[in-house]
Amino acid sequence: MTLLDWIVLAGWLLFSVSYGLYRARGSQSTHGYLLAGKTMPWYAIGLSIMATQASAITFISTTGLSYVDGMRFVQFYFGLPLAMVLISMTAAPIFHRANVYTAYEYLEKRFDRRTRRLVSVIFLIQRGLGAGLALYAPAVVLSVILGWPEHITTFVIGALVISYTTMGGVKAITWSDVQQMVLIFSGLILALIMALSLMPKEVSFLDAVSLAGAAGRLNAVVTKFDWNDRYNLWSGLIGGMFLALAYFGTDQSQVQRYLTGRSIAQSRLSLLFNAAAKVPMQFFILFIGTMVFVFFIFERPPVLFQPVDERRLETTSGYDNIQTRFEAAHEKRRANALSWIRARDSQSLANYREAQREMDSVREDARKLAGAAPDTNYIFLSFVIHHLPSGVVGLVIAVIFAASMSVVSGEVNSLATVSVMDLYRPLKPNAPDKHYLAASRLATVFWGAYALSFAGLGRHLGSLIEAVNIVGSLFYGGMLGVFVLAFFVPRARARGAFFGVIAGEAAIFYCFFFTKISFLWYNVIGCMVVISAGTLLSLRAGAEGSN
Amino acid sequence: MKLPYQAQADEEPPPFLGTWERVYGAIVIYLAMLIVLFYAFSAIFTPPPSK
Repeated sequence: MTLLDWIVLAGWLLFSVSYGLYRARGSQSTHGYLLAGKTMPWYAIGLSIMATQASAITFISTTGLSYVDGMRFVQFYFGLPLAMVLISMTAAPIFHRANVYTAYEYLEKRFDRRTRRLVSVIFLIQRGLGAGLALYAPAVVLSVILGWPEHITTFVIGALVISYTTMGGVKAITWSDVQQMVLIFSGLILALIMALSLMPKEVSFLDAVSLAGAAGRLNAVVTKFDWNDRYNLWSGLIGGMFLALAYFGTDQSQVQRYLTGRSIAQSRLSLLFNAAAKVPMQFFILFIGTMVFVFFIFERPPVLFQPVDERRLETTSGYDNIQTRFEAAHEKRRANALSWIRARDSQSLANYREAQREMDSVREDARKLAGAAPDTNYIFLSFVIHHLPSGVVGLVIAVIFAASMSVVSGEVNSLATVSVMDLYRPLKPNAPDKHYLAASRLATVFWGAYALSFAGLGRHLGSLIEAVNIVGSLFYGGMLGVFVLAFFVPRARARGAFFGVIAGEAAIFYCFFFTKISFLWYNVIGCMVVISAGTLLSLRAGAEGSN
Repeated sequence: MKLPYQAQADEEPPPFLGTWERVYGAIVIYLAMLIVLFYAFSAIFTPPPSK
C-alpha cells in the first residue's frame, strides 16, 4: 500500500461513516432508530439489501471460490428471484399491515408468546454467529495488508463498527449502503478491466475465457441432479429458493430493511429490484475470479495465498522441494496454455489440463506441509495488493471495508432490535420510549462484542461465503417452516407451531451430523418437517379441544 | 377463513406493467432467460473432457 492508497482508504471510510450519520440525524426514538420512521424509498432499501450481501465476503471469498472451483456457485442464487416474488406476494404486505418492529412479533399475534420467543432465540444464535464471520472477513484484508495477526485486526474493525452502529441506527446503515453499492459496482468493473489489461498481449479476451473454460472454471450451470453436490441447477432453484425465502422472509436483518419502506409498494419494489440484479451481479463477481485465475496462469502466483502460511511454509524442511515442483508446474501450465490457444487441438488441451492438475497437487501438498487452512479468501486480495496500481488498491480495499462494516452494523442492529423488542419489552412493557432506545443502544454494544468473540471461528471454516450460508442453513428451515404455517395453514395452532419448530431443527441437525446431504437441502427438509409436524400437532390439538 | 396474505390491500399499483402479477411473471421469465444464457455461455467456452 502506498501513501495514495492510504489516503483513498481513510478518506472513503471517513466519508462513508459521516454520510450515514448525517442522514440519520434526528433518530431519537425507537421507531426512528429501528425502523427509520418508515420513510425509506424503494431504491435505497433495494440497494441496502444488496449491499448487505455484497460484503467483504462477496469480494474476497466468491472470487476465490471461482478461482478454485469455477462459477457453479452462481446456481446458489437461482432460487432468489423466485423467493423475492413469493415474499412480495406474502410476507412484505403481511408484516407491513401487522405494523410490527420484527418478524417474530407477528408470530405472537398469530400464535403465542412462547413461539415468538423460541424463534427469536434461534435467530439470535444464528445471526450472532453470522455477524462474527462477517466481521472476520475485513480482518483478513487488514492482516494481509498490514501483516498484523487477525485477532488484532478483528478487534480494531469490531470497535469501529460497534461505535458507528450504536450512534446511527438503521437509517444510517441504509444510507451508507446506498453510496457503498455505487462504489462496489464501480470497483467490480475496475477490477475486471485491470485483470484483463494485465494479461499478456497475445492473450485476447476470448482466449482468456477459453482458458478458464478449458480448466473447468466456467461451469455456471450443472444440470445433473445429485443430493450430495452442493451446487447444481436443482439445488440452486429449490434449495436456494428455500434459503432465500427464509433469509428474506424470516431473518430480521432483511425484514427490518423492507419494514423501513414508506408503503407496501416501496417494499415490494425493493425486493424485486434485488430479484433482477442479484443473479447477474454474482455471475459478474464469479467471472472476475475466473479472470484472476487466467491472470495467474501467466503471472507466477504465490504457492499459498495466505501470507502467514506462506512464511511458515518457507521455514519447513520440504519447502525447497515444493518450490521447485511449483515453479516447474507453473511454467508447464503457462507454456501449455499458450500452445493451446494457438493450436486449439486436443493434445495441447490435454497437456494444459494435466499441468493444471499438477499445480493443484503441489498447492495441496504445500498446504498440508504448512498445516494451513484453505486459502480461498486470500486469492483476490493477493491479486489486488500485488498487481493493481497505486490508488486503485486503496479504492478496492475501501470498498471491501465499507461494505463489510455496513453488513456487520446491519446485522448487529437487527440483533439488538430482536433482543429489545421480542425478549426485553414483553418483560417490561410500560417503560417510556427513551428507555427502549437506551436498551437498543446497549444491546447493540452487546451484540457487537458477541460477534467479536466468534469472529476467530472464520479462520477454521475455509471459504467464508460457504461458511456463512452453512450456518444460516442450520436454522433457516425451522424459521421458514413456522412462517409458512402462520401464513398458509389456517388451522395451525400455537402448540403445533412451537413443537413443529423443534422437530424441524432436530431434523436439520440430524442431517448435518449424520448424513452427507448438501447444506442447501437443509432448508427444504427443515421447512417440510415443521409444516408436517406443526400441522399434525395442530389438528390433534384441535381434535382434543373439540372432545 | 381468509389467509393473512389474502387480506385486501390498500395496494398501490406498480409503476410499470400495470399489475403486480405481470411484474412477477416478468421476473420469472427473466430468470429462465438468464439460466439459458449462462448454460449456453458455459457450453460454448468449455471444450469436452480430454480422452
